[in-house]
Amino acid sequence: MTVFLQSLISGLLVGGVYALIGIGLTIIFGVMRVINFAHGELVMVGMYITFFAFSLFGIDPFVGIVIVIPLMFLFGAFLQKTFINRVLNALPQNQILLTIGLGLVMSNTVMLLFTSDYRILSTSYSSGSVNLGGISISEPLTISFLITAAITGALYWFLIKTDTGQAIRATAQDRDAAQLMGVNVRRMSVIATGIGAALAGTAGALISPTYYIFPQVGSAFTLKAFVIVVLGGMGSVVGATIGGLIIGVSESLSAAYVSSGLKELFVYVLFLLVLVFKPAGLLGKSRM
Amino acid sequence: MRTPLPLPPKPRGVAAMPLVLGGAVLAVLAVLPLFEKSPYTHHIFILLFLAIIMGEAWNVLGGYTGQYSVGHAAYFGVGAYVTMILLDKHQVAPWLGLWPAIVLSLVVALVIGAITFRLRGPYFVLASIAVAEIFRLIALNWKDLTNGAEGILLVSLPPLVVGGKTLLDVSAMPAEQAKIPFYYAGLGLAVVVIAVNWAVQHSKLGYYFQAIREDQDAAHSLGINLSFWKNLALLISAAFTAWAGSFYALYTGFIDPNNTLTTDVSVQMVLICIIGGIGTILGPVVGALVVVPLSEGLRANFGQVHALVYGILVVLVILFMPDGILGFVKKLATRRPAPAAPTAPPGTEVKA
Repeated sequence: MTVFLQSLISGLLVGGVYALIGIGLTIIFGVMRVINFAHGELVMVGMYITFFAFSLFGIDPFVGIVIVIPLMFLFGAFLQKTFINRVLNALPQNQILLTIGLGLVMSNTVMLLFTSDYRILSTSYSSGSVNLGGISISEPLTISFLITAAITGALYWFLIKTDTGQAIRATAQDRDAAQLMGVNVRRMSVIATGIGAALAGTAGALISPTYYIFPQVGSAFTLKAFVIVVLGGMGSVVGATIGGLIIGVSESLSAAYVSSGLKELFVYVLFLLVLVFKPAGLLGKSRM
Repeated sequence: MRTPLPLPPKPRGVAAMPLVLGGAVLAVLAVLPLFEKSPYTHHIFILLFLAIIMGEAWNVLGGYTGQYSVGHAAYFGVGAYVTMILLDKHQVAPWLGLWPAIVLSLVVALVIGAITFRLRGPYFVLASIAVAEIFRLIALNWKDLTNGAEGILLVSLPPLVVGGKTLLDVSAMPAEQAKIPFYYAGLGLAVVVIAVNWAVQHSKLGYYFQAIREDQDAAHSLGINLSFWKNLALLISAAFTAWAGSFYALYTGFIDPNNTLTTDVSVQMVLICIIGGIGTILGPVVGALVVVPLSEGLRANFGQVHALVYGILVVLVILFMPDGILGFVKKLATRRPAPAAPTAPPGTEVKA
């Protein structure tokens, strides 16, 4: 029972960060119908910004978020304006290939600049944990989960309450109708991509104290983000939140009960099952 | 009395020009090792042939049938691993081990097809990636069979013995000649795959494929059995991809999950086609001709960054020449004579 609770809790903690990555991907998809295959690379860039902010200027990774969010927002907006915006009406496969190309450019540029060495960001609390009735809870994961929860809450508020948020949701629901109602859909696409990139970068910052940092780390997150988003339903923010938690928990349970080497295998099998039997996801409308 | 309607001019037979040119190129390539002795040149040509084989193999499914698989690493890996495991653990000569490798890749393709062809568009792409990842994780974790992350190192290639006579013994050859058998094997295989693409484009089979690519629902309503033809395209594609994987494994002599089963391998196959011109016979050849020298030149001078070239090239191609280099050149060429009569046979127009 302890093992179960232990893995359930650590799964939920990690799942929160996964949810952040998934929400970013789903917002970008919702507004532009473009699947961002470079999403994991955005996480990776966030990790590197955090790493260098820490190692060069001694900025704590969790404080470093205040640098990561604006930088990544601008980077995302730049990617949208320069590249993605040009393929909005292209075939889906060309959109996919464009973002794959962008991802390759990002990971290889980072490799060129900083080599493919594995880096570790170790803080005083990196391996710290709190013991709660026999269950040890990792300190950095707990902090990152709390920050994730705060950011997710703020994002929900933004999307539901603010004019811009409503405009983004309107664009996601029906791009043409939103445009007819006077929503500046081009601007919303830029903002949505910025938010998506900022969320991915934040997730990168949050996991940097507990993960190896290297240029190719992104592809694993890209795949995970797809699984989360498809599980929750493409374009659904709530779905991505739930999807992230489900994936976090199922990874951690399969690592505890089967083998940590195979935890991703379970995730992909789960993914295929969802694709085949409920392709619209748990909370999404079918877009097939 | 009925007057027969004038028949439209049929595009019959084979145009002589491409055949002559192709034959000339082939003749030059066939005698090249006699004059060019540098193993490095041979190496570059072998990589070029491999890239052509991989691109053309993917092209059957991705280019002609419009099913953008980004999971072809699965078949590449199956080809590489089966050949190497049979050779390393059971001493089965590779020219025999190749066949079980291809058969297994066909079985795998049928299973994968049954799962992924229910899906369309981005969902199909995602599913194909997930399937390839599952194969990578299996190879990584089934250590008894695959040596896991350590990979399999080929100690030496056994000699090719037919009827008691040794025809070829690569491991006994001097180093500067050892690449030549691979050169001819690669060249031969590349010619076969190009011929297969030619046959696909010019046959009824290819018209079914292209109808599915242009509009699945329309094709379905005309009575085309989508899942049958898609699976057939996948089988052709998977067989040659496995062959390429097997060739790669024997040539490099070392395989691990990273060099045979990652998404990068799948992406590379797609990029070769998209850069050259997707759904055309020569597209993958052009793509390989651009990508291989460029990335090898960079690898020699700047180390690991050759994948950067793929990234930059594909971004540029998608933004500025979405029909690939071949499509771009064609567009430039047809810009001058304005009234282009619609004489092209249906389906040959490239839509990338």
